[in-house]
Amino acid sequence: MSRLEAKKPPLFITEPLTKDGVSQSLSLLSRILKSCYGPAGRLKQLHNGVGGCVCTTSQSSAILGRLPVSHPVLGVLMASVQNHISRFSDCGLFTAILCCSLIENFKSLNVTSCTVIKISKHLLSLCMDYLKSEACGCRVAVDFSSVETLLCLVRSVLRSKPACMLNKTEVDHLTTLILKAFLFTVPCHAESNAVLGKCVIVPVKGRRVMDSTVLPGLLIETPEIQLAKPLTVKRTCSNMIKMALFCVSMSGDSFNPEEGTITVHHGISLEMSELNQLLNVGKQLVNDEVGLVVCQKVIHPSLKQYLKENGVIAVDRAGLSLMEPLSRMTGSKPIASIRLLSPSCYGSLKDLCTESFASKNFVHLIPDDTVVCSLILCNRNETAWDELKRACETAEHVLQLTLKEPLALLGGGCTETHLASYIRHKSCSLSTSSFEDIDCSRTQYQLVADGFCRSLESVAHSLNHDDGEILTDMVYGHCWFVPPGFPPVSSWPDLVSKCGCGINGNGENLKWRLLQGQFCSPVIQDCPKDPLVKVADFLTLDCYAAKCSGLQVALETANLILDLLYVIKDQN
Amino acid sequence: LLMAFRDVNARRHIGLQQLSSLALAGRTLLGPVKSCKFIVDESTNQSTLICSAVRLIESLDLTSAAGQLLNETIQAQNKEFKTGMSTLLFLVGAWSNAIVECLQQNVPVSAIVSVMSEGLNSCCERVQCLQISIHDVNKELCSSSVRPNASKSKTCQIGCNSLPNSHLFLYFQKEISVPEVIPINSCSHQDDDCNFNKHLVSPLAGFGSVATLVKPAGDKSTSVISGNGVATSSCSKQKLTHSRYFSTLGKSLFSSQQGNFQGYLLGPSADSCEYCGLGHLAMALSHGNEPSMKLLQSIVAYQQERAEHSGSSQLNVAEIVTCCLLGLPESYSCASPGFVTLLSPEQVTVIKYFEDKLLRILLIDGDLTEQYRHLGFNRPCNVRTIVEHPSLQEGDLWLSSMLDNLINFEVNLVLVKGNVCENLRERCIANSILLVSSVTWNVLCAFGEVTGAQPVTYLTQLNASCVGSGAQVELWKASDGRATDLGELVPVRIKARGIPLLTAVLTTSVASKMQLIEDQFWTLVYRLHHALNDKKVFLGGGAVELLCLSHIQMLVEQPLQPANQNAVKEFHNPWLAASATEYKSVVLQALASGWKQYLLVVMCNTTKAASELEVATSVDHHLRKAADCGCPSAYILKEFRRGDLLRDGAGPFADHREGLRVYDNVTAKTEAWRRALDLVLLVLQTDAEIVTGPRKNQLLNSHVSSEFMFL
Repeated sequence: MSRLEAKKPPLFITEPLTKDGVSQSLSLLSRILKSCYGPAGRLKQLHNGVGGCVCTTSQSSAILGRLPVSHPVLGVLMASVQNHISRFSDCGLFTAILCCSLIENFKSLNVTSCTVIKISKHLLSLCMDYLKSEACGCRVAVDFSSVETLLCLVRSVLRSKPACMLNKTEVDHLTTLILKAFLFTVPCHAESNAVLGKCVIVPVKGRRVMDSTVLPGLLIETPEIQLAKPLTVKRTCSNMIKMALFCVSMSGDSFNPEEGTITVHHGISLEMSELNQLLNVGKQLVNDEVGLVVCQKVIHPSLKQYLKENGVIAVDRAGLSLMEPLSRMTGSKPIASIRLLSPSCYGSLKDLCTESFASKNFVHLIPDDTVVCSLILCNRNETAWDELKRACETAEHVLQLTLKEPLALLGGGCTETHLASYIRHKSCSLSTSSFEDIDCSRTQYQLVADGFCRSLESVAHSLNHDDGEILTDMVYGHCWFVPPGFPPVSSWPDLVSKCGCGINGNGENLKWRLLQGQFCSPVIQDCPKDPLVKVADFLTLDCYAAKCSGLQVALETANLILDLLYVIKDQN
Repeated sequence: LLMAFRDVNARRHIGLQQLSSLALAGRTLLGPVKSCKFIVDESTNQSTLICSAVRLIESLDLTSAAGQLLNETIQAQNKEFKTGMSTLLFLVGAWSNAIVECLQQNVPVSAIVSVMSEGLNSCCERVQCLQISIHDVNKELCSSSVRPNASKSKTCQIGCNSLPNSHLFLYFQKEISVPEVIPINSCSHQDDDCNFNKHLVSPLAGFGSVATLVKPAGDKSTSVISGNGVATSSCSKQKLTHSRYFSTLGKSLFSSQQGNFQGYLLGPSADSCEYCGLGHLAMALSHGNEPSMKLLQSIVAYQQERAEHSGSSQLNVAEIVTCCLLGLPESYSCASPGFVTLLSPEQVTVIKYFEDKLLRILLIDGDLTEQYRHLGFNRPCNVRTIVEHPSLQEGDLWLSSMLDNLINFEVNLVLVKGNVCENLRERCIANSILLVSSVTWNVLCAFGEVTGAQPVTYLTQLNASCVGSGAQVELWKASDGRATDLGELVPVRIKARGIPLLTAVLTTSVASKMQLIEDQFWTLVYRLHHALNDKKVFLGGGAVELLCLSHIQMLVEQPLQPANQNAVKEFHNPWLAASATEYKSVVLQALASGWKQYLLVVMCNTTKAASELEVATSVDHHLRKAADCGCPSAYILKEFRRGDLLRDGAGPFADHREGLRVYDNVTAKTEAWRRALDLVLLVLQTDAEIVTGPRKNQLLNSHVSSEFMFL
């Protein structure tokens, strides 16, 4: 007997932002994310509470990916930040913290949300125009003819992830490796449509970070290979190794169709016929003088034996992630059937050897052209290795983005405070016609601009996790950190040596003031200056593309959330 | 799905407290004298005897996140080094406590993190001067072994009591490297390692001490084993107990001739300095674990002999396996060439039939059952078979075809990596084919190498080139020929000519000690392995820790550098530079307290010191003298050489063996420090736990529900 149940009406929630629960959750989320920010950020232990593995991290990609949230408002926020992360890898926390701050600051203003949105859009365009202009004081050009700036970019990414547990030497070592790996992936002969190669991370957990290394070509783990014996490979007349790449399982079970039943007579073995088919493939491979067979999945032991007896090296279980780079590197087309074998699928390889790291054995495929490389990444324990892997991938991505747009922004909070002082200066000097265009009053504009600046400054503020003061100077608009434990009346020039990004020293009188993030009176100031020296060796730099996108995403998401009037929940 | 979020109290850090209480359980496992622990499972009333940090952590219930990370860290150290886990566990506890104290003094987290990790780096660099290369260690240990006072030692007397003085002993050593040899008889047996061509070193025969030149048949190398047993020309089988320090069973000179000595009982020889050095090195690294050391010494001797004196002083760990025999006294532990394993009594008849025969051997790297398929083969679920003549049973068909295969290729012995079908095993016994299951991959490889067998996965793959030949099987016998009837299973030795594989047969009559003995053996094997890999060792007995303490003392007293100066050409760190200098001395003291506690506990565990206070006084005394003398490392080195360094705690050797040197692994030790500090700092920097998963109600109802917030 079927039973019909009446549908429940959908639940309407009006003005979700005014509800207590939402703002509490929002401020809790903001607190969590702020506490993670920067090189001194605090870590979070993510686990399931029943003895599962523990992820210790301060990275937004790890935290946001595993935080299930109940409220749609938080859902919107996290979805757009995650989307930003998937496109840029970097500046996820910046985006999320800025977005939370903007919502909190704008909500407390006594201005209608549609006016806030209009004004904030105008502010964003001011920022973006400034960041894109030559006159921008918080960006540096990246010179690809020297490695210094690139090293700074990578180093800043690694240093901002304390859960990687790296010391100075280790940071330097990995920075060099990541850059080296990146340079491998840049094709030597650039054509108009040059495509970057790929760096594959090979996990070696339990080892010292200093044991990490980069090799051109690819490594495939082969537990049963014996290192003592040198590999003898069949070569073609041009002294290359002919290679076949299979993406189909060669374990001899592919007669198993998705549905339906096969009926066979006793004495007929499907397994045997399948194996014969495989051995035929083997015969053809031997005839075609293939020297190396790589299979994504498993190769039947009998076929392996046959190939071995005929001098062909067979490597199986290469894994899905290696297929694309393998195919790219060797020029072989992945073979998806064991019934059709076209000689045009074969690729070629320059050399093949065995390598061993920690207790793992690998075959090392060495190509002619090295756009594909392997980063053998070591770290002492599992949780720190996972964190380091994420950091390396981010750094690699940052380099790729920088190659497209050779610019970088000053890090260490300096870009945020500098932008804030630029907007403060700019919003005072705006002409009346501009306000008419936006359809708001000067006061409204000032209020929103101040909220915007305070939000930016609060991002810089969250870099500090101990009780020290944070200052900004009136000349360059950079960010300065006073170490904790000093009385507030101390003479600042004695305490601060360099600004957050490391570009300015305390040599001249920079007229510092306290940066209090939230509730301070608006400051009127001059347009911040461009620092005189722009090339320094040890700068904290952020990815230009990622930060610009983060700024836009944060503001647009905040606007979207402010604009939410109803939440409609389907209760069925 | 909901997320719970817990703030970790910054002042009384929960994670650090958890770490410190977990580590407390491991205090007695530190140092050469350990106290074992019984871990009792209250639900089953079963108990386990443990004597190492790994086993302790394995047996504890670690549900907290910090406990989980601790477990991960200890396992990682164990996987990589097999030693240093107790040190790691102890330092985790000591540093957690010290950091909690720093937090209570309001030291900022970032200052603790930076000063501590910089401090450890600096210490690790500083203690490099206490590293000694293996070569130097060998030289030193060999020369120290002929010092007059060394011959006074208890065990040495057994080896050289017939020598008039130590000069002669030295002479004996020198002579032996270019010995004048007189062939006595030559054996025509095929068994290379059972019967030696005997040679006698004539100049020394009169002393009642002997050196036997051992020349395995079929082996080009010549090696010399010196012994304290008297070799007579009529004795075709002779036991070789010839360590100058130890006699395997501690028997008198002549008793060693009696009994059934199988010749494969190995002992260290003294043909070259390099050689005896490895034996000494093993002893210096054994930290008082004599039984394991003796075993290792004989393994080293065997491997060195095989290495044809090529000068390679590497220890091949992959060629060592262990076999645990329960029911024999511990003194029966020994190293046997080949592979010793336990088989069922039914198979013994086959073994008796095989004795003295050369066998054809097959290696299988999977299971030997009908159902077994290689990894990655997915069994079809939608194939139906029509049977027209249901007379023949499937299983029988498989059995007989497999058996036919084995018989056709005249296979006598099959080593299987996985399980074996019992029916097949029975049928094989009836046909005099021996199936040995659960054989590890490196054993298969070793047999493949010397017999020419190629491992296969299925018997259907069998062809002539897969089958190897020349394997031999015999019952394993204890050194005195004592019946090794261990109830259910019988120990069997499988070997082949020239096989590099060695089995360390570990015996004990106490079941609960088995695991412990095996663990200790492997620890020592890996200590020697890592020492040879590092090519250097640390001075042991607290020297390294003492230098760390002295170095930190110096760092604390160093004038603080103004923040402006040290930031010149370095990557700028605005948060840390200035604040770190402010709290430097407090944090450095916390770092030092870890090593200080370590020394105190090690000394107290050895019970050579009456109280921690006494040790503390001694440590302070040394630190003061080290500082006074201007060069602490030179002072420590001098004291170490004199054997005066913290002598009241130099381990169990201290009373009867003066001048005994204790050494430690370099990488394993510094890595244990680093891993311990990394873990503590990782937990310190954690300010919140995020619990994901569908357990909201459970958390809400638990007694800690008030600590959680829900998003």
